Amino acid sequence: MSAPPPKRQKREQYRKKAAAAASKDAPGHIKLPQKKFYRQRAHANPFSDHQLIYPLSPAHMDWSTHYPAFVDSAEQTNLAGARKLDRDVEVVDIGCGFGGLLVGLAPVLPETLMVGMEIRTQVTEYLTTRIQALRTQQRKLKDSESPAPVPDAADASADADADGDSETPAGVIAGGYQNISALRANTMKFFPNFFGRRQLSKIFICFPDPHFKARKHKARIISENLNAEYAYALRPGGMLYTITDVEEYHHWILRHFREEGDQPSEGGVKDLFERVTEEELERDPCVAVMKEATEEGKKVTRNKGNKYVAVFRRKADPEWS
Amino acid sequence: MTNFQHPFQCIQFLEKQETQENGSQKLLVASAGPKLYSYNAETGERLAVWPQDVDANKTHDSAAETDQAPPEKKRKVSPTAEEPVNDVKSGAKAPAWSNIPIVVATANSEHVVAMTAEDKTIRVFQLQADGTFDQLSERCMPKRPCSIALADDDRTIVCGDKFGDVYSLPLIPGNEPYVAPKLVSRPKVPAATPLTVHSKRNLESLEQQLRHQQQKKATEEKTGINFEHQLLLGHVSLLTDVAFVSLPSDVSPTGKRSYILTADRDEHIRVSRYPQAHIIENYCLGHNSFINKLCIPEWAPEHLISGGGDNYLLVWKWAEGQIVQKVSLVDEGSEDTQVAVRGLWAVSSENSKVILVALDGTSQLLCFTHEVDGSLKAQEPIETTGNVLDVTSTGKDNKIFVTVDSIREKNSTQEWRASPSTLIESFRVKSEVEALDWEAVTESPVTNINSSGTSDIVADADAKQRKDLNLSVYGLGNLRKKLGEDD
Repeated sequence: MSAPPPKRQKREQYRKKAAAAASKDAPGHIKLPQKKFYRQRAHANPFSDHQLIYPLSPAHMDWSTHYPAFVDSAEQTNLAGARKLDRDVEVVDIGCGFGGLLVGLAPVLPETLMVGMEIRTQVTEYLTTRIQALRTQQRKLKDSESPAPVPDAADASADADADGDSETPAGVIAGGYQNISALRANTMKFFPNFFGRRQLSKIFICFPDPHFKARKHKARIISENLNAEYAYALRPGGMLYTITDVEEYHHWILRHFREEGDQPSEGGVKDLFERVTEEELERDPCVAVMKEATEEGKKVTRNKGNKYVAVFRRKADPEWS
Repeated sequence: MTNFQHPFQCIQFLEKQETQENGSQKLLVASAGPKLYSYNAETGERLAVWPQDVDANKTHDSAAETDQAPPEKKRKVSPTAEEPVNDVKSGAKAPAWSNIPIVVATANSEHVVAMTAEDKTIRVFQLQADGTFDQLSERCMPKRPCSIALADDDRTIVCGDKFGDVYSLPLIPGNEPYVAPKLVSRPKVPAATPLTVHSKRNLESLEQQLRHQQQKKATEEKTGINFEHQLLLGHVSLLTDVAFVSLPSDVSPTGKRSYILTADRDEHIRVSRYPQAHIIENYCLGHNSFINKLCIPEWAPEHLISGGGDNYLLVWKWAEGQIVQKVSLVDEGSEDTQVAVRGLWAVSSENSKVILVALDGTSQLLCFTHEVDGSLKAQEPIETTGNVLDVTSTGKDNKIFVTVDSIREKNSTQEWRASPSTLIESFRVKSEVEALDWEAVTESPVTNINSSGTSDIVADADAKQRKDLNLSVYGLGNLRKKLGEDD
C-alpha cells in the first residue's frame, strides 16, 4: 500500500495536466475545472484548529491578488504591505461551496466585489480554479471581439458531469468575473479578521450544513452569538440572505433573528434585524440567483425538495441603554 | 521530610469598612488546592478556612482557628472527578474539586466570588468581619468558567466559559424561585426529511428514528441552567478573559457608558456594549497567539494592556481598537523563546502607576511604569523565590503580596523541588526617583502565613498525580494551537 490511492493519484494527474494547459496559454477553448476531482466530505469541524491562513485584521488583508482588476491606481499599501483596492469587498457568501451563487451574481452586481468563503480546501481550490478559468475565457472572448462565439458543444459536454459543470457563458458578461473571488476560511472563528465594522452590504448563507443532531447545533452557522458578528460587519440597511431546504433549520433561522409567531421579541440581537417582506424579495434579483444558481439549489430542484428563503435587513443600532 | 503543601493559586487583598470602633479591617483571601483561606493582612493570622474540615470521628473542632489543619483526605485530583468523591472511612465528604482557580472580591469587600474547578460551580460568599466565609449560593455552570468579572457596581457576575459563552448572573439571586423561560413546545420530530436526506444509509437511519420516536413519546425534559441568568454574548473559541469597564460620557443620562471586553484563544479581543452585549463596538486585533489576560488600569480606563502566548504585550486605546505600543517581553536576540503571560496586574503607588507582568513558570515579576501617554516603560524586575502565581496590591502603603510556587523548582513548570519552599512574599516600593526600586518585606504577615501553611499534598504523589497537579496550575500551554493533519 505504498502507492497513493487511485483517487488521489487521478486528482494529482488531473491537476498537473490542468496546470500545464493553463500555462501554455493555448488559443482556443478554456476548460473549466471538473468537480469530480475536487469532491470532499460535506462536513468540516468548525471548532478544530485548521491550518488556516487569515489576516491579523481587516487592514492586513491582501485583496489585491483576489481582484487584480480593482487595484487602486494610487500606489497605496495597507498594513501588510499589500496594494489597496479602489473599493471594499462588500458581499460575502459564507460557505460558498462550489461557487454557483458567486458565478451567478457576478453579472448581476458587476461593480461590486464579492468573496466566497469555504472551509473545505478541495472545494475552495476548485472554485479558485473555476474563477480563473472564467476570467481567462472572458478575456479571450473580449479580445476576439467576435459576437459571442458559440462554445464547442462537444467539448462542453465532455467536461460536463451530472452536476452541470457545463455552464459556459454564452458570451461576454458584465464585469468578466473580475469581481468575484474565493478563499478558504473558518468564518465561525475568523469573520472579524476579514471584515471591519459596517463594511458589508450583503451576506449570503445558502444551504448551510443543517447539523441535524441537537448535540451539533452549536456548530450551526446561524446562532444568536454569530448573528451579532454578522450585524457588526453589515452596514445599517445591509441584507442577510438565507436559504435552506430543511424546514426545521428555516424555523431555527427565524427564531434566531426574529421570534416566530406568537412569541414576542425579547431584545438581544433580534433588535438588530428585521425580516424583509415577500413583495420586496420578488423584486430582488439576488433571491432568484440564490434559489436557482447555487449548486445545492439545483440539487434540491432535481430532488423536488422545498426551498425556504428568509432575508433580514440590518437595522440601525438602538440607543445606548 | 516536610510534606508539600498546595501553593496559593489566587490571592486578593481586601479592606472592609467596619463599625466606628474598628475603623477598617484589612484581609487577605487566598485559594490553595481545594480550599479558601482568609488572613488578617496586618498580622498574617489565619482567620478561616473554607470548606471546614468536617470529620465526624474527631472530637476536637478542627475548624478555623487551629494552626495546623488536619491532613487532607487522599482524593482524586484528576479533573475527571465529576462523580462525588466520598471518603467512606470517616464519613466525611471530600470536596468534589481539587482547586479554586478564580477568586474575585467585590469592591466593598462584602462578597467573595470563587469558582471551584471540576464541578464548574460559581460560589458566592459573604465575608464576615471575623474572616469566615458564609456561602450564600452555589451555581453550577453548563461549561467550565474561565474568567469572572463583576459588573453593574458589583451587582452582576459576568462569566466567560470554555465554550466561548459569556453569561451574566446576579451576584445575589432574588428570593423568587427561578422559573425557566417557557420554551415553545415543539413536537420532537427529526429535522431531516426524505426530501433532505438522499443516501440509502441516511434514509434508513431516518426511518429508524421515526419508528423509534413512535415507540416512546418524548419524556425527558432537557435540564438547563436552573437559576436566573442571561447569555450576553459568545465567541466560537475558548474564552480566556472578561473585563468590565465604564467610561464617562456626556451624552449618557447616567454619565457613563459601560462595555464588556472579551478575549479568546483565537487572538480576538471583542469590545461589546453592556448590557446590550449583542452590539459589537469593535475588535482589538493584533495578537498572533492566544490571549490570556486583559488589564484595564483603574487610573486610565481608556487603556487596555493585553498579553498571552505572544512574546509581547499590546497597549491599546481599546475604544478605537488602536494599538498604542507593542512591548517586548523577551530580550533582544531571543525573540524565538516561547513565553505565556500568566498575569497582568495594575498597581498604583504614591507616585507611580505600575503594570506587573508574570510569565507562566518564571520567578521574575516584570515591572513597567504606565506613562501618561499610555506607553509602558520597563523597570527592574522583581526577583522572587519561586514561580509567580498571583499578585495583589495593598493600595496605599506601596506594598504587594506575591504568591509563589512552593512545589516546583524555580522557572520550571514540571520539576518538583527537593523540599517545599515559601508560599508568599511581599515587596514594597523603596524608591521612585528616576527608576522604580522594590525591596522585599519580611514582616509578620508573610512569616505567619508561611508558617501556618496550607493543606498537604499526599506525600507519596506518584508521577501521574504530580503531572495532574502541575497541569492544574500550569495549563496555559494547552491554549496554543495544535496544528495537525488538515484537509
